[in-house]
Amino acid sequence: MSGTFNKRLAIVWLILSAMTLVYVWLDVAVDQNGTLKASTVVTVSAIIIALVKVRIIFREFMEVRHAPALLRRLTDAWVVLMAVCLLGSYFIGSALAS
Amino acid sequence: MTNLQEDSSTEQVDRKAAARFVPGQPDMWVFVLFESLLFTGYFSVYLIGRIQNRDLYLQSQADLDLRFGVFNTIVLLLSSWAIARCVQASREGAYRDALRDAFLTIGFGVAFLVSKVLEWVKEIRLGNTFTSNEFFQHFFFLTSIHLLHLLIGFIVLGVAVYQLWSPARRSQQLVETCATYWHTVDFLWALIFALLYVVR
Repeated sequence: MSGTFNKRLAIVWLILSAMTLVYVWLDVAVDQNGTLKASTVVTVSAIIIALVKVRIIFREFMEVRHAPALLRRLTDAWVVLMAVCLLGSYFIGSALAS
Repeated sequence: MTNLQEDSSTEQVDRKAAARFVPGQPDMWVFVLFESLLFTGYFSVYLIGRIQNRDLYLQSQADLDLRFGVFNTIVLLLSSWAIARCVQASREGAYRDALRDAFLTIGFGVAFLVSKVLEWVKEIRLGNTFTSNEFFQHFFFLTSIHLLHLLIGFIVLGVAVYQLWSPARRSQQLVETCATYWHTVDFLWALIFALLYVVR
């Protein structure tokens, strides 16, 4: 029983680490000769990947998967709320700046 | 016959309901959600500020060493993994394993702390301090407020170790509460890392 549980946690850790390495690729892919370039695609992807990581940590590491519906819905709502705030600030900020 | 079936089906429902549980004390969850809101507010301020002054942020960001960011993220994920294992071990009564995992968590936390301080030293040597510009103000503020949460996390992990140490204590709920706090330190860092190092 504990063996299967621990395997699941190990896979979760692997997925989360792999997602972190996607950042390295994003980071290298966008810059030209060491000069950093502004990019909406990179910004939006970075924010979305981070939020997916947050949700995986909620569900798997923090055991929300086994929690009552209220906590499951509340944490999901929070992830959505964070997405709206972060992406909203970025796009509203962009509209104001241009 | 029908009565029997009804009985067994309600029993199953009861069992299902009992299998669902809130990990740790609900109060800690209120704190977790409150903290994430607070940080989200700050992230929004950072993102809006960033777009008003894009070139400055990009130039300053070039001085950050992504290797520190990646190392810190992986190390905190390792610590989260360890404390999640600790919770499961303690639930199954394997307290020796649970204690080992709690100490591993502390070890990874210390690795994060050391690496963070080395990164700060590097940035300060490059001439990037709190008052250098807007980006570094956000950088030092966000990383230090997060480190403060990590330091509080060491006290929290101390409580978990204290609980696991003696057979007279061992409250599963308290161990879960401590783990919930520690995971929060981890997922907040996942967001801070994306926003400071990766966002363009």
